[in-house]
Amino acid sequence: MATATEDLSAMVREIGLDRQNKATLGRLLAHGPLRRAEEGPDGRMRARVRIPPDELIWDPSILVLPHAGDLDVELVNDDENTHCALLPSNGDEQFIWLPNHSRGTASLNLDGPGYYWFSSPIGNDEGRGLIGAIVVLGDVPKGARLDRPPQPQP
Amino acid sequence: MAEYVEAGHAVNQASLSGIVGSAPPVAQNVTYERILQARSEPQNWLTYYGAYDGQRYSPLDQINTENVKQLAPAWVFQSGSVGLHAGPSTYSFEAAPIVVDGVMYVAGWDGWVWALDARTGQELWRYKHAIPYDTSLCCGNVNRGVAVAKGKVFVVTLNAHVIALDAETGERVWDSTYGDVRAGESATLAPLVVKNLVIVGSSGGEFGVRGHLDAFDLDTGRHVWRTYTVPKPGEPGSETWPAEGKAWERGGGNCWVTGTYDPELNLMYWGTGNPSPDFDGGVREGDNLYTDSVIAVNPDNGEIRWHYQYNPHDLWDYDSTMENILFDLDGRKLLAHFNKNGYFFVLDRTNGELVRVAPFVDRITWGEIDANGKVTPEVYPKNEGEPVKFWPGPAGGKEWTHAAYSPRTQLFYVPVQDVGAEVTLRRREFRESIPYWGAAVVVDSEEMAGSVSAFDPSTGEEVWRWRNDLPMCASVLATGGDLVFAGEPTGEFNAFNDRTGELLWQFQTGSGHHSSPTTYSVDGRQYIAVPVGWGAWVEGFLPGMLGAPSGSALVVFALPES
Repeated sequence: MATATEDLSAMVREIGLDRQNKATLGRLLAHGPLRRAEEGPDGRMRARVRIPPDELIWDPSILVLPHAGDLDVELVNDDENTHCALLPSNGDEQFIWLPNHSRGTASLNLDGPGYYWFSSPIGNDEGRGLIGAIVVLGDVPKGARLDRPPQPQP
Repeated sequence: MAEYVEAGHAVNQASLSGIVGSAPPVAQNVTYERILQARSEPQNWLTYYGAYDGQRYSPLDQINTENVKQLAPAWVFQSGSVGLHAGPSTYSFEAAPIVVDGVMYVAGWDGWVWALDARTGQELWRYKHAIPYDTSLCCGNVNRGVAVAKGKVFVVTLNAHVIALDAETGERVWDSTYGDVRAGESATLAPLVVKNLVIVGSSGGEFGVRGHLDAFDLDTGRHVWRTYTVPKPGEPGSETWPAEGKAWERGGGNCWVTGTYDPELNLMYWGTGNPSPDFDGGVREGDNLYTDSVIAVNPDNGEIRWHYQYNPHDLWDYDSTMENILFDLDGRKLLAHFNKNGYFFVLDRTNGELVRVAPFVDRITWGEIDANGKVTPEVYPKNEGEPVKFWPGPAGGKEWTHAAYSPRTQLFYVPVQDVGAEVTLRRREFRESIPYWGAAVVVDSEEMAGSVSAFDPSTGEEVWRWRNDLPMCASVLATGGDLVFAGEPTGEFNAFNDRTGELLWQFQTGSGHHSSPTTYSVDGRQYIAVPVGWGAWVEGFLPGMLGAPSGSALVVFALPES
């Protein structure tokens, strides 16, 4: 049965795709909370991402940045199991262990619009739901854009 | 509630590996003057094609027709693919490894760059660029390599940046954006260093972008010039586009393969890609300059000095980005180009005059090019919804992977693909960032063939052919040991006698070849390096092998140490 986009959240809840061991074995990817990063006066962004107990999900699962640049993330594991984080950043991916009830930090640089994945690459955390997306809004610098009039969009 | 356990600060993933962390300062004195004379230091492979002329020839002769049977793996570098990345089913290892005095610099898919000990394969440093998962990629998650000069390693990223890395540490020195991912632009080619400039082209011709070449200051990353390959109304060449309408704004013509360079003429030779939409010529009447052309470009200012269009008003997706190899014959300065359309062109590289044109693949049904270069289309998508079948298919009689030229034999060695396709015109409206082909396309999965073929540029005649049941989709390497190396889609890496085409040696690497092997020596020992990893635009060039094993290994061969 097809569903309209506006009904999607309700359908996901009804079927149980937003919970562990309900419809599927885990939780459908990126079906946790969505939040925006905060921006400081210097343009540097910051966000808090936590793992709530027994959900195997990042909160937020979708973290929205207003633009490309530097992001400081506080990572909090409120779960009663050990996890970790592998995060995208220019230079190298950033890794941190997150033992039970722990708190750590990461500094990331993402240089353009689009969405980037992060995860907990331990056990099958990724398959169970611990994959999230960092969404970078905005456009590329004006000097990098094509010299042409505005084009029709999808 | 108890206090949180302190988990610390995230670290580079590479710190949790056996990586050394730094490379010797060998790239510090790689100057423009050294790159000009690259073939005089055959122990190194200093630039994408080995030298500015694009010949992919090395004078190294330790490995030769007599001893090649003893060739064996010296070391293997593997990265694998961890987690999710853009186009995860399409990644491929396509690079040409660069080697400077015992250090190898090589780029992988999805923003990876590695410095390796060229003697042992030990990883010295790595760089990883974060690539958005939703980047538009027409033809797979690939990168064709790096350039090295003045202590820096230059590479483009799939999200259309060009970056400079410190060649000793892999740390980013500068980063310039030169394409718009929201418009469907990306970047995949190996940069070309000329004088104090880093020159790069864009990808995205399947998304209706406007192709361009860009030059950046090598030291600072400052943007120096941009040249569009599709002119605006009123500019030279604009008369080859519809006077009314927006066709030029989405005209394609991307330079997604590295150019060659003649320092005496101070001209670079860049091939340009297909016009957009690929198969629907009705929305872009005219020849559509400078798509499907070779453009001779002044590196100092980006000026197009002359052009030769291989496929006027292309209707078959016959990108002409492939290499233009510089060579001299009977005192003339010439270039050779094997086009997707199945024809081998020889041009006077001083002015673009056609010297010779001859077919190099068996089945050519799209049309004909006569000895004077006159193009007569015969089979092409013409009527909405009506399928047409033609050879070569959109992947071409030769794909982007490169031919080689040996000055010893004065022959060209070409990876040939003989594959057809059925194309049905399906006009669609343009929407920025959405694929803009104008057709339904199904490439043959049966009745295919391929070869490594040798051609004499003085006659255009085929001298020998090593026939394969599958198309040959990887670059050829020629050496002073009278050998020609080429990999197969089924994983075999082959060495041929360059005068007869006899297969002398073969090694199964475990995954198909779609890259550019190079050769070098360290401490007097010659090595052959070949990135292996089947993937990319397989649905376009060899769908009959879509289910073949993937991989991501760099395999390096040498003779046994006595």
